[in-house]
Amino acid sequence: MQPLANITPLKPAGAIEVRNVGQIFKTTTQDVVALDNVSLDVKPGRFVVLVGPSGCGKSTLLMMMAGLRQQTSGTITISGAPIPEPDPNRVGVVFQEASLFPWLTAEENVEFPLALRRVKKDERRAKAQDALKLVGLDGFGKRHPHELSGGMKQRVSIARGLVQDPPVLLMDEPFAALDEQTRMTMGDELLRIWAATGKTVVFVTHSLTEAVYLADEVIVMSPRPGRIVDHLQVSLPRPRTYEMLSGDAFGSLRDRIWRHIRKSA
Amino acid sequence: MSAATLRRLIVIVLIALWEILPRAGLIPELFLPSLSSTLAAGWNEAGEYGHALAVTLYEVAISMAFACGGGILLGAIVGSLPRPRILIMPMVSSLYAVPLVILYPVFTVWLGIGSESKIAFASIYGFLPTMLATAAGIQTIDPQLLLAARSMGATLSQRLVRVIIPAAIPTVLSGLRVGGALVIVGVVVSEMLISSAGIGYLISRYRTILDSPHVFAGVLLVLAMAIAFNAAIKWIERKAAIWQTGTRAGQTAAEEIAPSTLQPAT
Repeated sequence: MQPLANITPLKPAGAIEVRNVGQIFKTTTQDVVALDNVSLDVKPGRFVVLVGPSGCGKSTLLMMMAGLRQQTSGTITISGAPIPEPDPNRVGVVFQEASLFPWLTAEENVEFPLALRRVKKDERRAKAQDALKLVGLDGFGKRHPHELSGGMKQRVSIARGLVQDPPVLLMDEPFAALDEQTRMTMGDELLRIWAATGKTVVFVTHSLTEAVYLADEVIVMSPRPGRIVDHLQVSLPRPRTYEMLSGDAFGSLRDRIWRHIRKSA
Repeated sequence: MSAATLRRLIVIVLIALWEILPRAGLIPELFLPSLSSTLAAGWNEAGEYGHALAVTLYEVAISMAFACGGGILLGAIVGSLPRPRILIMPMVSSLYAVPLVILYPVFTVWLGIGSESKIAFASIYGFLPTMLATAAGIQTIDPQLLLAARSMGATLSQRLVRVIIPAAIPTVLSGLRVGGALVIVGVVVSEMLISSAGIGYLISRYRTILDSPHVFAGVLLVLAMAIAFNAAIKWIERKAAIWQTGTRAGQTAAEEIAPSTLQPAT
């Protein structure tokens, strides 16, 4: 048996650690502090939602977790290692509606990250099929984005984020462009996919109802400079149901978030 | 009756009138020779027209390569880098109002009255709209698409090949449509002005001796060339840009710049 002493204990896959992270945007006239000393721990498999008024840096924080932007100070680790550049094997990202390539079919969009890595055609196709099946789009692979509804497009985006089976899925206001009904349905769909895959999800949204409905934990942020002002545990049982929306527990959580946001807006 | 049928019907009626009106003596042959006499004139001098067509096509092909190749290359640079854009765009915009045909006599001094001066003139003539459309096509790419590609680990060259180029294709093709048409205009016009070969030269030579059927035979050839070019572009558009139906952004961008670049030929 190998001696264990010189083996660094690995953080479990899917853990996110944010330590004293700051982000300063330099403009010609002044420096804007977008994030100030933000620390946050996300345990593997948790569903964490970031909320806060516009300009609180929640999307910026998400972009840094994705390796799309580097923090000015502090450290971020995903599954125990820093993320200096995007790594779709560790982190999948889902954006707002318009991020599918309109000249590719749904299937080809999902295959895109695999094609970048020159994965063989058969393997690519098989993985894309599995991902599309997971998001409930079996049989829609040959359609182009303009032939799909808004909700279906977002399903394709989620499939694309999951196709390389990363332990972490980051979602930047993925349902913001959808109508109310589709949004509710997509929320339930996302929870189903999350339960089936066990991914760590970090989800940015403006909607307080969506935040409480989806989350295990809600992180509330304040703007300029962006800071974490509250960290709520949502102890509502799963699966979440539509009836919970009108319950007292749901209402008091939403009110607590709203009070923070009203203060800073 | 559908619009397409109606359009075809109008074309057929016009062609019929072209034959009937001069034959009936309603229009003098000098103004409009009948279709049959035009075709006969062309057929009798088939060798001469064939040679002229070869010269013109050669000039169009080379100019097209320069105008489109240069336009796409420079347009891509101007569209993706802010500094060249600041340097070049104001100059290009101020060139809009200049009738470029004034350059042609200068080119004949520099390059002689052979094909070179026509190629130089037509290349510059078709270059501007191609460049502007390419620049617009690249500038109007949704940054969200590039961000998404980056999040999936796409390198710079992968983003260029797999995102920027396919996203810019519809706008670039609209630019090619305008640029290519201007290349044909440029070649024919310069042949008509100062030259010794080509269809434009034949048209203007036969005009000086008032030989209308031969003039119109040349006009027919230019028409056929333009129609063939248009059909080719349409075919490429269908092949390359099936996804246009989804986004109109590229097309509107091209439509915005097209009218200002379409100047009268002379």
